[in-house]
Amino acid sequence: MLKLISYLLNQGIATNRNICPDLAEGVRGLPKLTDIPCSTGCTACVDVCPTDAISVFKIEETGHIKLDLGLCIGCGYCVDACPTGTIANNPSTRVAVSRREDLVLTTASAPPGNIAQDATSVMVSAPDSLEKAKWFSRSVAARVVATGCSACDMELGAAGNPIFDMERFGVQIVASPRFADALIVTGPISKGMQAALSSCYGAMASPRIVIALGTCAISGGVHRGGYADANGIEELLPVNVYIPGCPPHPWSIIHGLLLAMGKEHLAPRSVARFSTVRIEK
Amino acid sequence: MKIERIEMSLSELHEKLPHTLGKNSENRLGLLTSIDGGQLATLLLNPKDGTAGLLVSPLENNSYRSFTPQLAQFHWFERALFDFFGIVADGHPRFKHLLLHDQYEGDFFPLRKIALPANFQNVLPRRYEFFEVKGEGVYELPVGPIHAGVIEPGHFRFSCFGETIVNLEIRLGWVHRGVEKRLTEVPWQKAHFVAEAAASDTACANAFAHAIAIESILEVKVSERAQYLRTIALEIERLAMHVIDVGGIGTDIGLLGISSAMGRLRGKALALADLISGSRFLRGFIFPGGVRPVSERKLSEIKAGVIGLRKDLAPVIQILSENQMATERMKDIGRLSRSLAQEFGMVGILARACGIEYDSRQCFEQGKFPELAPPITTELGGDILARTRVRIGEIATTLDTIEKLLDGCPHGEDKITLPASLPANATGLGIVEATRGELIHLIFTDEAGKICRYSIKDPSFENWTAISIAIRENLIADFPLCNKSMALSYSGNDL
Ligand code: SF4
Ligand code: SF4
Repeated sequence: MLKLISYLLNQGIATNRNICPDLAEGVRGLPKLTDIPCSTGCTACVDVCPTDAISVFKIEETGHIKLDLGLCIGCGYCVDACPTGTIANNPSTRVAVSRREDLVLTTASAPPGNIAQDATSVMVSAPDSLEKAKWFSRSVAARVVATGCSACDMELGAAGNPIFDMERFGVQIVASPRFADALIVTGPISKGMQAALSSCYGAMASPRIVIALGTCAISGGVHRGGYADANGIEELLPVNVYIPGCPPHPWSIIHGLLLAMGKEHLAPRSVARFSTVRIEK
Repeated sequence: MKIERIEMSLSELHEKLPHTLGKNSENRLGLLTSIDGGQLATLLLNPKDGTAGLLVSPLENNSYRSFTPQLAQFHWFERALFDFFGIVADGHPRFKHLLLHDQYEGDFFPLRKIALPANFQNVLPRRYEFFEVKGEGVYELPVGPIHAGVIEPGHFRFSCFGETIVNLEIRLGWVHRGVEKRLTEVPWQKAHFVAEAAASDTACANAFAHAIAIESILEVKVSERAQYLRTIALEIERLAMHVIDVGGIGTDIGLLGISSAMGRLRGKALALADLISGSRFLRGFIFPGGVRPVSERKLSEIKAGVIGLRKDLAPVIQILSENQMATERMKDIGRLSRSLAQEFGMVGILARACGIEYDSRQCFEQGKFPELAPPITTELGGDILARTRVRIGEIATTLDTIEKLLDGCPHGEDKITLPASLPANATGLGIVEATRGELIHLIFTDEAGKICRYSIKDPSFENWTAISIAIRENLIADFPLCNKSMALSYSGNDL
């Protein structure tokens, strides 16, 4: 035991003081859109995307794209395929948002139709507002319901390791919904887990916040539309925070938790760095 | 890899299997499934000479005499066969649903393509009946599907007498997402993304097995460089998983210093994955035809990382190994006997921890293996301690292997161009030693060259039964540690 303690003391502090830094060069993040216009008639990105996250539309002969990060698994194929550089790798880990429509990026300033509308499916009810979440700004107790492939869960576990150390922000994982302020859901919630998830949510006291962690939880990801109804959380529970990625980086998970706690100022999502989101509201 | 396909009647199959798979035979059961519901497809593997054979036996009346009473390794395969195809195993000692729960309609068999026989009578109600242990003082303890920590869902039904576990029944299927069906729906060029998500903690092994299977259908060979890089990636995945699994043992024993140190070191192993593939989980690195490009600079950074990690891991592992309390805690708990492990066809670490010398890296072609495969690590104890020691041993051999592969990695093409379509009526097989053991992807194409059946056998599929066996007569408080020492996959099993 003494050996262990002396070893640990010798290791010094491993925790990264820089909160939610950019990914190292060469590491794949989610895609982002740049200001460079699409080449007309090109559908290279649409053709390679495994989850139909991208669509192309035209406004007066100019090609535009719409990219839904809620469907994106971050494979990077569109970035490699894009001949113009309209789609680029986004090194930022600050990618969590509190509205589903904010995950939809587009190069058009006035996209046809209501983009926000078709990104969002039926919401069961309005989520408890994040205003109330400010109550949790010093500490939040989270219950995790895992329904996916385990990678999201492992990254959440990693967010608690000494390098990322989410506990320093007041995040604690608890073993019962009764103690929980937040429900973190991973995976696409196929038929098998739907009842268990809603009873877990039902056992939580209000105010409660729901965090959809990972592309599967947001939309079902690669499993969407199959016979197992693995279509994500949206038709099941009201959601406060969405963390895209397959799996999201531990820093992105921490970013989402900070957002849920009303502490986003610790790691603001600088829009310029993120994308050129220009959705007309 | 190459696979021999043999048509064989059911009665011949019944005659053949008991000796081909019986005690002390060289063969093992790879998997049992069906292609469209009209036949049994039995995959037999011969690890000794690295060959595989597929026995296809047409069914007469949508049923067959169960193999389970003679060959225990069939027990879950036969239940899954009913779930997905509605094929009945007559005489199965515990015939019930395995993965599809009561939310599905009674006659819903998602992978069945041919019509059910007109006289089909559904023999199984959707309602699931647990095995009940009766007797004075015996009580049941249901746990799950949602667990206390951050872990995948599953249900454990303990029957206990006092604090002793008399029986444990494991019910899985909570994360059944329909992966096998989805793999037949997407264009085959994009199927590797789905194959990876079968169990993304072993995404690389799944992508690897998928690629081998597709390439064997196409009868193409990827470049030598791609073979090396794939193998390096597979070993990096193993390294990261073994490190966190040993750390997990620390958590459950109460040696939190070990788990936090290992958690940090896993981060370094994941950084190697980031270097080679741009993804901590090696997502999208391996695909049919090759790998993503990797620069020489990255390879030398990986080399430096491996050397560093070896140095960093040594003191932590030494402290854990020398800790008397930890050793006492793990010794003789959760013991699995060699004979049962063999009968149930168990694989991977837990089989090697009871002396079974089977590591598919030594037998079946996968990248640079078996040519450069490390020696097999085994232990004899069959308990938690033995499993931890096998893991620790494999961390060392994996580090050696990565270094050796990095030194030998030649220049050359990263990928080859593949034909635009798959040949018709072909069968492809990929076997990879994933972190948890032998992983199988088996693919069939139809007359149009479309994938019509995609079968995955995760190593955990055989191994879940090991927990039920090993935990008998142990204390309920020993379950979490025993479970952790097996570190099985729920999503890979449920698909
Ligand atoms: S990175 Fe996302 S949007 Fe781009 S191809 Fe991959 S899944 Fe589609
Ligand atoms: S989002 Fe990706 S990593 Fe997370 S559960 Fe789904 S497939 Fe797995």
